[in-house]
Amino acid sequence: MSGIFAYRDEGSESSGEGFLKGKSVSVQANMSVAGWPTEAGSLALKGFKAIEDATVVERLKKNGASIAGSTRMGELGFGLRGDEAARSVAEGFAAAALVTDHLGEARLAAAGAGLIGFKPSYGLVSRYGFFGLIPSMEAIGVVARSADDMALVMAAVSGTDEKDFSMPAEEAPDFKECAGQPGIKTLGWVREIADRLENGDRNAFERALERFADGGVTVVEKSFEGFDLFRTVHQVVGSVEASSAAGKYDGVRFGHRCPAGKNWNEMYLKTRGEIFGPLVKPFLFQGAYFQFTKYDVFEKACRLRGHLVREMGRLLGEADALAMPAFRGGFDPREAASVPALYDAFHFTLPASVAGLPAVCFPVGDGGPPVQIVGSRLRDAALLTLAGEWMKTTEKES
Amino acid sequence: MQYEAVVGLEIHVELNCLTKMFCDCPNRPGDEPNRNTCPVCLWLPGALPRFSREALEKASLLCLGLGATLQPRSAFDQKVYYYPDLPKGYQLSQAHRPLARGGWIDVEDEKGATKRLRIHHVHMEEDVAKLVHELEGRTPVGLVDFNRAGAPLVEIVTEPDIRSAHEAMEFVRNLRTRIRCAGSSDCSMESGTMRVDANISIRERGASALNTKVEVKNMNSIRHLGDAIAHEAGRQQAAVEAGETIVLHTRLWDPEKGATVPMRGKFEGPCVPDPSVPEIVVTAEWIDRMRGRLPEMPPQKAARFQRDYDLPRELADPLAADRELSDYFEAVARMSVAPRTAAHWILSQYLPAVKERQLPVAGNLVTPERLAGVLRLLEKDEINANAAREVLSRLFESDASVDAVVEQGGFKQVSDAASLEVLVQQVLDADPATVAAYRSGQGKALSFLIGQVIKASSGKANPKRVREILLAKLA
Repeated sequence: MSGIFAYRDEGSESSGEGFLKGKSVSVQANMSVAGWPTEAGSLALKGFKAIEDATVVERLKKNGASIAGSTRMGELGFGLRGDEAARSVAEGFAAAALVTDHLGEARLAAAGAGLIGFKPSYGLVSRYGFFGLIPSMEAIGVVARSADDMALVMAAVSGTDEKDFSMPAEEAPDFKECAGQPGIKTLGWVREIADRLENGDRNAFERALERFADGGVTVVEKSFEGFDLFRTVHQVVGSVEASSAAGKYDGVRFGHRCPAGKNWNEMYLKTRGEIFGPLVKPFLFQGAYFQFTKYDVFEKACRLRGHLVREMGRLLGEADALAMPAFRGGFDPREAASVPALYDAFHFTLPASVAGLPAVCFPVGDGGPPVQIVGSRLRDAALLTLAGEWMKTTEKES
Repeated sequence: MQYEAVVGLEIHVELNCLTKMFCDCPNRPGDEPNRNTCPVCLWLPGALPRFSREALEKASLLCLGLGATLQPRSAFDQKVYYYPDLPKGYQLSQAHRPLARGGWIDVEDEKGATKRLRIHHVHMEEDVAKLVHELEGRTPVGLVDFNRAGAPLVEIVTEPDIRSAHEAMEFVRNLRTRIRCAGSSDCSMESGTMRVDANISIRERGASALNTKVEVKNMNSIRHLGDAIAHEAGRQQAAVEAGETIVLHTRLWDPEKGATVPMRGKFEGPCVPDPSVPEIVVTAEWIDRMRGRLPEMPPQKAARFQRDYDLPRELADPLAADRELSDYFEAVARMSVAPRTAAHWILSQYLPAVKERQLPVAGNLVTPERLAGVLRLLEKDEINANAAREVLSRLFESDASVDAVVEQGGFKQVSDAASLEVLVQQVLDADPATVAAYRSGQGKALSFLIGQVIKASSGKANPKRVREILLAKLA
């Protein structure tokens, strides 16, 4: 277990009763557990201890789960460098792990470990007590060994929270009755996305589509010309939001602080110069650049985002869900050490993040790469049902 | 060349909400430092803003009171700047989509003509923390008090319609009256619950161009606002006449020097839509509900007082300006007292008496019933005006009935003809010189004789009757 956890408290076994009794769930070091160090893999939060439980943690405990520990993570949960959440599941310390999803981290962490990864609809899981970086795109995702465990965790953590006003007043999908959800009968796939795949990956993706078709799902080809715009919009809007969201990291109230220098401004500049690492710092610079000198570009990106959301809505009106690849050959998300490399590696997971849609990623067997299924808002449970059924089929085969 | 000032105002008003704008902390900035704080207003990681319904209500009432139009959808933006009083790096404000637009206030200009001054928009924003600079031994330290961080504010931005210090002062007085009446704030410039900044430029009289403006801050009374505008317009005129160019900057009003002085340039950051506070949707039903809660505004009330109570404007306006005072007046006027008498007595006697004793306008010993009792006796000639003033003063000291106070003080007027005639005759007999003066046509002599009779009666004689008897006897 060495290196998996940033903090563990052996005495934190839940004594509560509930449908998660006996299940252990790990969280990341940017999700508040009262009294635990919550440093989010960042110097900016060095020494910071959570004052109260995040809503997700409170709900896990209330339903009988114990918190396995908080896993090590990349700086502020941006990318997967140094992230150990998936390992905590793969090596059996937890049945499921909560994972920050800014770009698609929960999905790709699972994909790299042969697990199931999920990003819920935006606004379905409370962000209270969670330290995110991109408020309008971030989500608390889940990595689990089985779709059943994932559904149980989602049943516990989802639903409106009076502490998070950004959640619409709406009824959460019923995750406990996943089997009862209207199923996914048609799967669309986007030609322009498939065209981006290298030959080997493309063949594997097409084989996966064939397997779905063999399994009784109607597979339909779709077209979406502006697919690359998701990356542009995510980079512009995401970095602007991150620049604001990281404004609170100044070393004054918590975290690493540089010596005072001549005045507060000097202390502040030096501190902010030191507390951000090589991935986050350029991203924040980029956001500040758009905020301060290219505001028109930011506004254009916001309008484009609206267009992309509508386009996804159109595609999802023509099919129950969309099948997309998850990995992109030649780009390892765990190795991405620069912002462009990060966006290269997360290229296929960005649409769901930009559009706030639910997306699940799971192995489809046959030795091929995992597939990502993106659904309409609040069709979260239906996605988990599909993933569960599919994973059971492939398990029987092997 | 003749110049005129072109002035627009930016007025910050602190709403008198019980809680802050995005959390449940008490909205009491004056408490022991950092007492009223929580993860939200300290902006600790993981905290999320929860927009207060009360702030929206108070802000909406304020907007409706100013005749501004509430927008169906408005939203918060992040005003980005880095300063220790703002530890999250941005202030939540409504830069792009304000709560309300439009509205106006009619004021009387210097010549007594009515002038309409338009409001551009009204938006909500949160206040920032307060910085305190102290010495720890010899080391200067900057301390941050977060009690004020997140306090609910409204900013009213006017069109550049104001042309003089007088108009600006009238505008702010009128605005203050309306906001107080709406119940949204006490609007005290002295205690800082209202802060008025003025954007001032000058141009050739009658021209329509807007020239480069200078922002002036730090006025802590309406009078200072007027002084600052007058001074700054004069300064700009002198500068222009000396061939200088006015540059955009900010100046502080220095009341000691009676002058505006330049302050360092302020860093203006961008305003980005905030992704965490949901869009604010105001429905027609909500607006109706707020309208129903809005009391009658002073201008409408003053017009009604003139119409329904036949009051002259100089009585109607000051009564209508204050909600408690106007309620008090209407209560007295309902109790068989002539409204004009009630209005006159409330403004000239009751209000000064209350202020002198530092009592609230409503809820002191002199209830509307008791004042009405005094005024009814006055109208029936049972007491005279001097006695009425004295009775009123005694009513502040005890809760005895009006009749008992009049009885105990012997304030009843002497009106019966027999006893008055005796008094009159005594005075006439004692002062033949004045009688002669009257007969030779000196009108003042009659007033003097009336005074003498009243004096002889220890103030109780009914002046009207005394006059009648005197006239009869001197005829």
